[in-house]
Amino acid sequence: MSRVQRKNSAAVWFLPPILKGLIFTFKKMLSNLSRKNKMLTLNYPEEHYSYGPRFKGNHILTVKKDGSLRCTACMLCATHCPANCIKILASEHESPEVEKYPIAYEIDILRCVFCGFCEEACPVDAIRMGPEWQTAGINGSSFVYDIKYLAKRDSLKGGGVLSRVDDQERHKAGI
Amino acid sequence: MSDKLIKCEINNKEIEVSEGTSIIEAFKKLDQPIAHYCWHPGLSVAGVCRLCMVEIEGIPKFQIACNTKVTEGMKISNQSEKIKAAVRWGLEFHLINHPLDCPICDQAGECELQEQYMQFGKYSPNMSENKVKKRKVVDLGSKIVLDSERCILCSRCVRFTDEISKTHELGIFNRGDKSEIGIFKDKPLENEYAVNTVDICPVGALTSKEFRFKQRVWYLKTADSICTGCSTGCNIEVDYNEEGLFRARPRYNKEINGYWMCDKGREIYRLPNRIGRLWKAKVPSSDSDKSSYSIGSVAALKKIRKLFLEKGSDGDSYSKNGLKADEAILILTAQYTTEEYEDLISFFLQFLGSKESIFYWKNNPENFDDFDGLLLRGDKNPNTKGLLEILQKKEALNPWEHLQKTLEEKKVGTIWVAGPENQKVYPDIEEKLRYFESHCENIIWWTAHPLLDSQKVWQIPIKTFFEKEGTIINFAGRAQKIKAVSFFVPSALSLSESVVILRGEELKRSEPPFLKAPRKANHFTYRKKVL
Ligand code: SF4
Ligand code: SF4
Ligand code: SF4
Ligand code: SF4
Ligand code: FES
Repeated sequence: MSRVQRKNSAAVWFLPPILKGLIFTFKKMLSNLSRKNKMLTLNYPEEHYSYGPRFKGNHILTVKKDGSLRCTACMLCATHCPANCIKILASEHESPEVEKYPIAYEIDILRCVFCGFCEEACPVDAIRMGPEWQTAGINGSSFVYDIKYLAKRDSLKGGGVLSRVDDQERHKAGI
Repeated sequence: MSDKLIKCEINNKEIEVSEGTSIIEAFKKLDQPIAHYCWHPGLSVAGVCRLCMVEIEGIPKFQIACNTKVTEGMKISNQSEKIKAAVRWGLEFHLINHPLDCPICDQAGECELQEQYMQFGKYSPNMSENKVKKRKVVDLGSKIVLDSERCILCSRCVRFTDEISKTHELGIFNRGDKSEIGIFKDKPLENEYAVNTVDICPVGALTSKEFRFKQRVWYLKTADSICTGCSTGCNIEVDYNEEGLFRARPRYNKEINGYWMCDKGREIYRLPNRIGRLWKAKVPSSDSDKSSYSIGSVAALKKIRKLFLEKGSDGDSYSKNGLKADEAILILTAQYTTEEYEDLISFFLQFLGSKESIFYWKNNPENFDDFDGLLLRGDKNPNTKGLLEILQKKEALNPWEHLQKTLEEKKVGTIWVAGPENQKVYPDIEEKLRYFESHCENIIWWTAHPLLDSQKVWQIPIKTFFEKEGTIINFAGRAQKIKAVSFFVPSALSLSESVVILRGEELKRSEPPFLKAPRKANHFTYRKKVL
């Protein structure tokens, strides 16, 4: 092991630079106290940063105009998901207009890699990745998001996000 | 079809076919691509879809391959740009009123429209008119749902009910773009072969209620097997994944079932599935508060060996502990493979009993010899012939009355029962179990599904026909091999494996080949660049 020996006076007289640093810190503290909104750091977790709507965070299942789920249980998202973390159970809907719908839809968010393939694969804009990014939880089960959480969690104000694809409009357009 | 061979040329490849062969059959024989919907090898020719067009040298117009016979020296092709365009526009015409249903359509992934669009279509749609709307989710009976919008009116299903099941339930109603498939008033599609129409429907217009929405087909793997629903032994393929079996479909065998199978037989896919299976061996307990407890099947058989088979103090007799050789009885049902019978019977004759104490349990003597004229037989066991042949060979074919006489006359030590895998077709199973129970000390019962809990019955879980290999012999004496599809209950044993343990030998179990099956390769999901 070799040791570098500094011979210059700055290395010997270490007190002045320390004082210099302390002055800088003290100045910043005073300016932060007086101009809080210019501050660069956030007081997490009391304060949150909100990303734009195109941020690929936690999933949202969209709804139709009548409030029911837009998802048709086609399982294309589950097929494309590289992490294999989407589980869907399909069933027969009583209305022939809907025909197939999911009775269970679960995303294991700990396995999700937030690639966005599910969003990409969905033919009816039923699943979107929203701006929420906090995935803290207290135990394993809080990381498996169920259908109710994905569609109607409290943070989605107004009971869900409206899908862009509407069957009635499609039918009217002759498709 | 006569035996005379004639030569023709398809896409510049020569082939010899027998006289009377249609061009499409020659194409299939040569494995040349040809678009088609209405032609099905098991049905008559309808010639309605007009997709199988080919060019024949010397004939100015395109001809349909399914309804044109090959003649000597015919030169046929479907590779020119002109004919490809004709097929492409034919396909577009089929699809102009087709709904955008693939996401909720059960056929997606095995749909001929999807496949043939990728192979012969790939056009951009030019239709600007509104699509014609038709009925959706129409109930055709207890088994099948119709979606008229998806139907391409190939008439395969109508021809099936006219020609094969001869029940004439389906028809095409109305005209032009209003035409649709339907049933007559008060005559639902309820024949014993109805679900075959789902298989032959090239699109998702007919879907089976049993399979609807359970799985997307690209999550399933397919394996060949034999139907064990009756003694006909139809060749089938089963679709399964790591969760279990999901459906059974017919596999072509000219000698036995052709292209079809019956709807009762399709239900056998439920038998090996985990729900309702006997998961572990059940052994009588000496506690008064419960009649049995569960242990692993190997441990249970070792226990049986110790109790009923271990060498006695005199050194040569295997029959000890309250059991004398002539007190054991073996009862066999015809729901096992031939190899298993061989092993179990020779073991029984060696250690436990005599030829006089082996009995064959016939489930439904009243309608045992029924036959519906197509496939379905009254004998609901897959291997009756095989069992009877072995019993005859060993001269151990004793009438059932002897069993009753024996049981009435003396107290029997142990009854060994190779019970039915399909308990549904043994309606008197509970009654018989109670009867045996009251006339013996112990019953050792091989079964796939749990029986009544009892303080006398040892239940050993067996492998179903989808979990073991072997031979089964159908009503006509035709021996067919079955292969293991997958394993669903880890502790289940075949009779042969049970015998190995009962003999005190070490069981070498082959590792389950794949409990996690890889997904079926499907270019709709994997060749993303194409789409
Ligand atoms: S973002 Fe990617 S990994 Fe996460 S659920 Fe969607 S497809 Fe799966
Ligand atoms: S979210 Fe979209 S892709 Fe996934 S099952 Fe529902 S409709 Fe299909
Ligand atoms: S029939 Fe085929 S093309 Fe039509 S909706 Fe079903 S899967 Fe799609
Ligand atoms: S229901 Fe299916 S089989 Fe019947 S005519 Fe329509 S497409 Fe063909
Ligand atoms: S297959 Fe030849 S016309 Fe339909």
